[in-house]
Amino acid sequence: MENNVIIKTRNVDFYYGSFRALTDVTMDFEQNRVTALIGPSGCGKSTLLRLLNRMNDLIDGTRVEGEILFEGRNIYAPDVDPVEIRRRIGMVFQKPNPFPKSIFNNVTYAPKLSGITNKAELETLAEQSLRQAVLWDEVKDILSRSAMTLSGGQQQRLCIARALAMKPDILLMDEPTSALDPISTAKIEELIDELKRLYTIIIVTHNMQQAARVSEYTGFFYIGKLIEFNNTEKIFTNPAVKQTEDYITGRFG
Amino acid sequence: MMAQSTMRWRYLKQKIFFGVVRLSALIISLALFGILAYIFFHGFRAITWDFLTLSPTDSMTAGGIMPAIVGTLYLTVGAIAVALPLGIVSAIYLTEYAKQGRWVRIIRIGVNCLAGVPSVVFGLFGLGFFVVFLKFGSSILAGSLTLGILILPTIIGASEEALKAVPQTFREASLALGVSKWQTISRIVLPSALPGILTGAILGVGRAAGETAPIMFTAAAFFTAALPKSIFDEVMALPYHIYVLATAGTNIEMTRPLQYGTALVLIALVLGIDLIAIVIRSSMRRRKRW
Repeated sequence: MENNVIIKTRNVDFYYGSFRALTDVTMDFEQNRVTALIGPSGCGKSTLLRLLNRMNDLIDGTRVEGEILFEGRNIYAPDVDPVEIRRRIGMVFQKPNPFPKSIFNNVTYAPKLSGITNKAELETLAEQSLRQAVLWDEVKDILSRSAMTLSGGQQQRLCIARALAMKPDILLMDEPTSALDPISTAKIEELIDELKRLYTIIIVTHNMQQAARVSEYTGFFYIGKLIEFNNTEKIFTNPAVKQTEDYITGRFG
Repeated sequence: MMAQSTMRWRYLKQKIFFGVVRLSALIISLALFGILAYIFFHGFRAITWDFLTLSPTDSMTAGGIMPAIVGTLYLTVGAIAVALPLGIVSAIYLTEYAKQGRWVRIIRIGVNCLAGVPSVVFGLFGLGFFVVFLKFGSSILAGSLTLGILILPTIIGASEEALKAVPQTFREASLALGVSKWQTISRIVLPSALPGILTGAILGVGRAAGETAPIMFTAAAFFTAALPKSIFDEVMALPYHIYVLATAGTNIEMTRPLQYGTALVLIALVLGIDLIAIVIRSSMRRRKRW
């Protein structure tokens, strides 16, 4: 996995105040692949995800050591604008969080603010993004309706469409289906499979079947450390480390 | 198994407690309606078209109160125009930008202290600073600024609460899309907080319109038949007019109906402004539900 690495971490330590949440994490994420991060609650997988688009900047009193290289550039270098990073590395959160705006305005919100003003262009972009998120057919006639009237699963796909409208290179997903019912979950998983043609996806999940179903690579975290990182198949059939095996077989978690 | 008598005693206690709660609510409503009804019955006979549209005549023992209505409107609108932008910006700084810590705590304590300062002190401050030092004279400008500072804590407090009530997930969602912090605040956070901010403004309006002491030295004229031509003119104002008629008028007893009439107009004016704001707020709330 040498050539197509789009983002990588090098010896990353991360602190909330004096609490060390991540220790010496070194990982490569390959382009157009789905990488799953798994591990018990509090293991640091979500923290790592939020480091990749500098969302942890929003929390006071945090500190990063080591490097995170996106296309070869350290995104924590002083001259890097986190806003620019977040445009290129989108994020979908655990709970669907559409804005209290219309469906159309949810999708076009960020593109508008980044300078696209042409109405036709925005409409095309909205349709394209909603189609990519497999939501278009359900909402094409109600684009002006409030996003809050959609179901939870639809809201989450809207949030995906909203992130895709910025045409990011990487899509980070933080337990995107944990608040959804099984049918919505299945839809999102199918969607992830489609999206990896165009995007690199890094997904945090508590659901090991989900990790096994959707990802090519899986990293197992435990108490802030990357314990094992390999092909998903290898991790789930023949893990190299005892802790990984204990976790995926449900002996602890 | 609990003894029957213990259960009965618990129900009784509950009944007593609910009774006390209901009684308190009743007393408060009665006090409010009592005051309103009292003023209404004493004042409504004075309300005529002439009363609302004419200037006082015969040494303020007859005629209308139009200059005072206009004056109070100017002063209230002026106070809101001063305090609302300043208050919202301060609240945005305190909740969105400032690093939470000792410094912010000190500012908050300061704001709360400001809320506790007696209004006559604001009046004296306005006299010393706006009227004399800045040479605004006794004027709409000086009065509006003084009232503006008076209601600033109310507006900052309400705005802060409203901003804090906006779900953090909205901010995260916007920032994660590569939208800048200021754009996030102006496009997502502020619109969501606006109904709450308006509540603060409503309270501010009520206070600004009704205060006498702050405008006594800074804006209010004992009597002017003419309407103000600029913000540097003195105006009559409803609360001060009531005060004057009731304490310093040429014929206090005879002008009682005028005093009640003026009070009624003042209350109607404040309630009217509140009503407009409430209608705007509830229509905004309907659009912004989460």
